[in-house]
Amino acid sequence: MSAARTVRVRARRADGSAAGARSFAVACSIAIASLVIAQYAAPAWSGFHTWQYAAIVALALGGVLTYPWKLREGGDGIFGVPLGIAMAGASIVAITGLACGLLAPDAQTLSRAPGAVAPLPDANAAAFFPNVDPASVAQGDDAIVVRRRRGNAVNLALGQVRFIGGDALRAVPRAAAYVEARDLRGEHLTITQPANSAFLSPLLQFPQSVQIAGQTIPSDEFATPAARRLVKAFYFSGDATAKAAVRRFAGEPAVLFAVNDDGGKLLRGAIGFATSGEEIALGGLRLRPTIGAYPALEVSPVPLPVPLGVGMAALLGGLAAAAGAAIRARRHIPAQEGKSPAFVKGAPSCPD
Amino acid sequence: MLLFCTGALVAVIAIAGTYFTGGGGVPGSGGGPAALVGAPAASYPLTRLGGGTDSVGSHRGHVVLVNLWASWCAPCRSETPALEKLYEQDRTRGLVVLGIDQGESVNAAAGFARDERLQYPILVDQDQRYGRAYAAIGLPTTVIVDRSGHIARGIDGELSLAEMHEAVDPLLRS
Repeated sequence: MSAARTVRVRARRADGSAAGARSFAVACSIAIASLVIAQYAAPAWSGFHTWQYAAIVALALGGVLTYPWKLREGGDGIFGVPLGIAMAGASIVAITGLACGLLAPDAQTLSRAPGAVAPLPDANAAAFFPNVDPASVAQGDDAIVVRRRRGNAVNLALGQVRFIGGDALRAVPRAAAYVEARDLRGEHLTITQPANSAFLSPLLQFPQSVQIAGQTIPSDEFATPAARRLVKAFYFSGDATAKAAVRRFAGEPAVLFAVNDDGGKLLRGAIGFATSGEEIALGGLRLRPTIGAYPALEVSPVPLPVPLGVGMAALLGGLAAAAGAAIRARRHIPAQEGKSPAFVKGAPSCPD
Repeated sequence: MLLFCTGALVAVIAIAGTYFTGGGGVPGSGGGPAALVGAPAASYPLTRLGGGTDSVGSHRGHVVLVNLWASWCAPCRSETPALEKLYEQDRTRGLVVLGIDQGESVNAAAGFARDERLQYPILVDQDQRYGRAYAAIGLPTTVIVDRSGHIARGIDGELSLAEMHEAVDPLLRS
């Protein structure tokens, strides 16, 4: 074998090795981009905050890093610079995704009383929970308003998702009942929720749960101080009333009230169901629930948009530039009489 | 390679630092009425005893002392003589006192006002909107609104006449 032929074979092997490293790194970078962008597609998924997810992203990052490692001596000719930029971008994307997965808290659902304000420091904003009346609870169409420190207010209708800063915000419906209480003369009574941060809210959001007849039933409680009554309330969804075989309104949501004196003792016969809009007299009270929904705010961390954007721009820009270089190199092949792209001008140097 | 590794290290530190300095998570919204200082005062039109409607927002340009109360609340009852005295002393200086009954019927509010011989305006808030908007954690709750319509003080519990003066006098002088 002549010396020139030996050089040519070595060059082809080196070219094949570089192409393999290149393809592997590009595949890993695309995997990283997909895994991290998925955090925007399903921000509330708890899997993003597990070690398994972090391990997969870290492995893909390792695959990306093999590219500069393998080429640390010889470079990669016309592909070296654009793919170097792309791999740097992929690394930033991976680090952004890992940081969000490992350091940011899991998704949280904020339930607040009507009129309450919840600060959202990560988004540099505050969420204003809407005030309600019975009609809006029945329709379940209240929107949470998110106001940024510098920016317009954003209305979050039920089911809508908005990305603000490092958070994905989504308004999710929660079962709620607006309760009106009167005494037996028909006089309107103050409702208080001593165990709730919203002391003066007549809206029950059922944050606790109990087991009743084998079913998990959401529960809440309130007081009517003027009548010296403590009332426990249990929310039965349509399914729950059907399963509980409450014949009068099976399949229809209802609230089960249990009226106690102010010492917490259940009053005789003071327990009963009421459907939405129905008034029921129990324990010296007339109670009317309006059953529907009230929004809670689901706050899910997502990768920080600025570094993610920079990383994605570098990744996509680098890949596009590398593809352009490959196309240009192929167009030059006929002019170079069928020589491999490795031997065209500007390609990794292996002089023929 | 060195440049690549240095860049990656800087990115790691910068991104991780954002999470550590940002605090992460979502704090609660507790804090009661005192946490509302500086916020625009919520306003809803309500039935006013004696006829018509009234709201906090309709007194822009005045200092407004909003007192949330209910007839069953003993500290609310014992606070009313001081409120009445404050109203008599400072109404000509631009002070508006609004007593807002929480959750009761007009009859209950009117009976209370008659028993206590109240002269300052009483509004009836059956839906307890002001109680929620002003983050009341008990009754009575007092919220002081400045002339520009922002909350200057939010106070939980019964106040003496001296404490009321201490809260409103600086605003009346400004």
